[in-house]
Amino acid sequence: MTTLARQAGSPFALLMLWQLAAAATAGRFLLAGPVEVLAWLSANPGLVGRALSVTLANAAWGFLTGNVAAILIAAVAMGWPRVLPLLTGLALVVFCLPLIATGPILRVMMGPGNGPQIVLAALAVYYTTLIPLLAGLRAAPAGWFDLVATYGRGRLAELVHIRARSSLPYLLAGLQISAPAAFLGAMVGEFTGAERGLGVLTIRFARDLNVPALWSLAAVAAAISIAAYLAIGAAGKRLQTERPPVILAPPRLSRGSAPDRLGHAGLLAVATLALWWGGMEALGLDPFFAKRPPDLLAALTVAPEAAAMWQALLRAAGETAAFVLPGYAAGLALGAGLAMLLSLVPALAELVTPLAIALRSVPIVTTAPLVVLLLGRGAAGTIALVALMVFFPTFVACQHGLRQAPGQVLDILRSYGAGPLRQMLHVRIPAMLPAFFASARIGVPAAILAVTVAEWLATGRGLGNLMTLSASLSDYTMLWLTVVLATLASILGYAGVAWAERRVLRVFAPEQVDR
Amino acid sequence: MVDRPLVPITCTGLSKIHDNGVMALDPLDLTFEGGRTIALIGPSGCGKSTLLRLIAGLEQPTAGRVSLAGLAPAEQAARGAIAMAFQDPSLLPWLTLRRNIALARTLARQPADPRLVDELIGLVGLEGFHETRPAALSGGMRQRAAIARALATRPQVLLLDEPFGAVDELTRRQLARDLPPLWQPLGTTTLLVTHSVDEAVLLADRIVVLSPRPARVVADLPVDLPRPRPPEMTETPEFRRIAAQALQALAQGVADNPALAAQ
Repeated sequence: MTTLARQAGSPFALLMLWQLAAAATAGRFLLAGPVEVLAWLSANPGLVGRALSVTLANAAWGFLTGNVAAILIAAVAMGWPRVLPLLTGLALVVFCLPLIATGPILRVMMGPGNGPQIVLAALAVYYTTLIPLLAGLRAAPAGWFDLVATYGRGRLAELVHIRARSSLPYLLAGLQISAPAAFLGAMVGEFTGAERGLGVLTIRFARDLNVPALWSLAAVAAAISIAAYLAIGAAGKRLQTERPPVILAPPRLSRGSAPDRLGHAGLLAVATLALWWGGMEALGLDPFFAKRPPDLLAALTVAPEAAAMWQALLRAAGETAAFVLPGYAAGLALGAGLAMLLSLVPALAELVTPLAIALRSVPIVTTAPLVVLLLGRGAAGTIALVALMVFFPTFVACQHGLRQAPGQVLDILRSYGAGPLRQMLHVRIPAMLPAFFASARIGVPAAILAVTVAEWLATGRGLGNLMTLSASLSDYTMLWLTVVLATLASILGYAGVAWAERRVLRVFAPEQVDR
Repeated sequence: MVDRPLVPITCTGLSKIHDNGVMALDPLDLTFEGGRTIALIGPSGCGKSTLLRLIAGLEQPTAGRVSLAGLAPAEQAARGAIAMAFQDPSLLPWLTLRRNIALARTLARQPADPRLVDELIGLVGLEGFHETRPAALSGGMRQRAAIARALATRPQVLLLDEPFGAVDELTRRQLARDLPPLWQPLGTTTLLVTHSVDEAVLLADRIVVLSPRPARVVADLPVDLPRPRPPEMTETPEFRRIAAQALQALAQGVADNPALAAQ
């Protein structure tokens, strides 16, 4: 098979499968096939065009501001390396904020207009650029810096002659992932109270149960995301000669000894509280909707309704945990499992991998209404959405990890007549572990985002529902409490995975730990 | 000979303990005469490269000091007086060969000199590869390019850390013949770290033999062979005599170390 035929083969097969599934489920209000999607789109070009232009503009502004912010933060971190752990920690905290709750808060702070969508798009973007960029700025071999130092030159010369150029592939890799993320942010912003845009249309058609319209909008969102992803990839290829690195996930939050890490965590907590409180005071935000840390502490301790608050929060958290934990575990297991299976059947991998890489760029959350449509408003739909959100990055990362298995070690195993299964067990799985854990870490905030969206759209339970309920009732104390709880859960989950990662990698990939 | 002051190098009570507690250099007192080529040989991991990095100012000594004609390494580096070629060529992959070499002059804040760059490319045998990027060059070609880059600033101090590691034996001998004439007329003080005794004898005016870690001087041998030194010179009795002395000193250094001798 030629490369072109191979590349065209898998999308074509997917379209065929999609059409067949639509035909099989016809009349059940579940699935609209490519033919119906094309028909609906050609019947409503004006409606889709107008909404798309609004969402694209918001996403583009968010993409621009988020990436400029990421580059500025990275520049600060390079000029002042001591603040790096704190900066990446704060960046993670902001990235873990649940967009479903920050949307309404931004709405009430910024009023009507496109502001909140743009901010959410920027928030969804900056982390995916910042982390690879920071990695890239530090990724150059020591010899290049020695060269600069030999001529008595300092950090500025390093930045100009080495880091700026050597980080370019990393920056492009980050930009590539952040293009679909900007689209996701803009759409989630539109979900939560905008007047125009694809997100607004999606919510409207979800309420009307307009199946062809929903599938059409999701197809447009997916196509735009994939196109943006591929376009930046192609631009990157033209700009540089060396291959861009595969960026799987951010590096661990902090290195060093356990007391060091505890110190960093404590400093991060203090800095977060100080920025939150200080920022609100500095901007003079109305305490009615901009709740400060003491307001929330009082609501949970001395307020008359403190017990009821606790009860509502704990119940919602319990419900969310029941969705997010199985979904997260299933996404990880399926991603790693399929990657391993495909490495045993390389012919199948050639067909599936390009598709998976393209689908990884689809903002899964924007397709949430479809998952609800297909799997219902119960646990299955929510768990499936969480699993999907975790599945794609895990799958792509694990495939990459499996390919990192050292060829010479595999040759030694082969020379002893070890078959593919034993090679997998002894060499490939250990080689996959760093990539697996990297995606498991970044999967935590992604899973929380997915579960809160699904709860809000479909199940009417859990933290996501409590967020939207509090927003609609203007109960800003409860809204802020859910933000804190969801963010804390993300950070703790992330730290928990990092803890397990250190223990496992210390055995299987010691060169990746304690550097 | 270029009319400029020679830069002798003096190491006084120099010692280095790495962050992991490994002692790389015992307090070491060494003087390298200005304008001469001195080879440092010793077993792997004995601290030769550390010594070179201390002299380049890339690392700070735990105790003692390095003086380059009375100035600290950082001061000489800031004047653009030092150049170094590393074990790894460390060429920037996004720059062409010509621009990689010219980069040294930019970093040393010297005016661009395209003629010198082209001349150096020819002298290291890379004629015709001016616009080639490092990825398209072989390992040996890259190392020659790194040496050309080190010479591009006409340095007063040239530090060569096993620069011929990836070069095949034939090219290695050719370089040993062709390179010294590039730096000797400049009055450059050249320190060469190498594993190869023959290379040391071919290139140097003096060979300092170091013991296993922590490094101390086992032997200090003058090499008074005439120049130029063609590859065939390695077969002469005089050459073999000096090489044998160096080898014997190397072996003595190992034997004097009780831990290594027991192995």
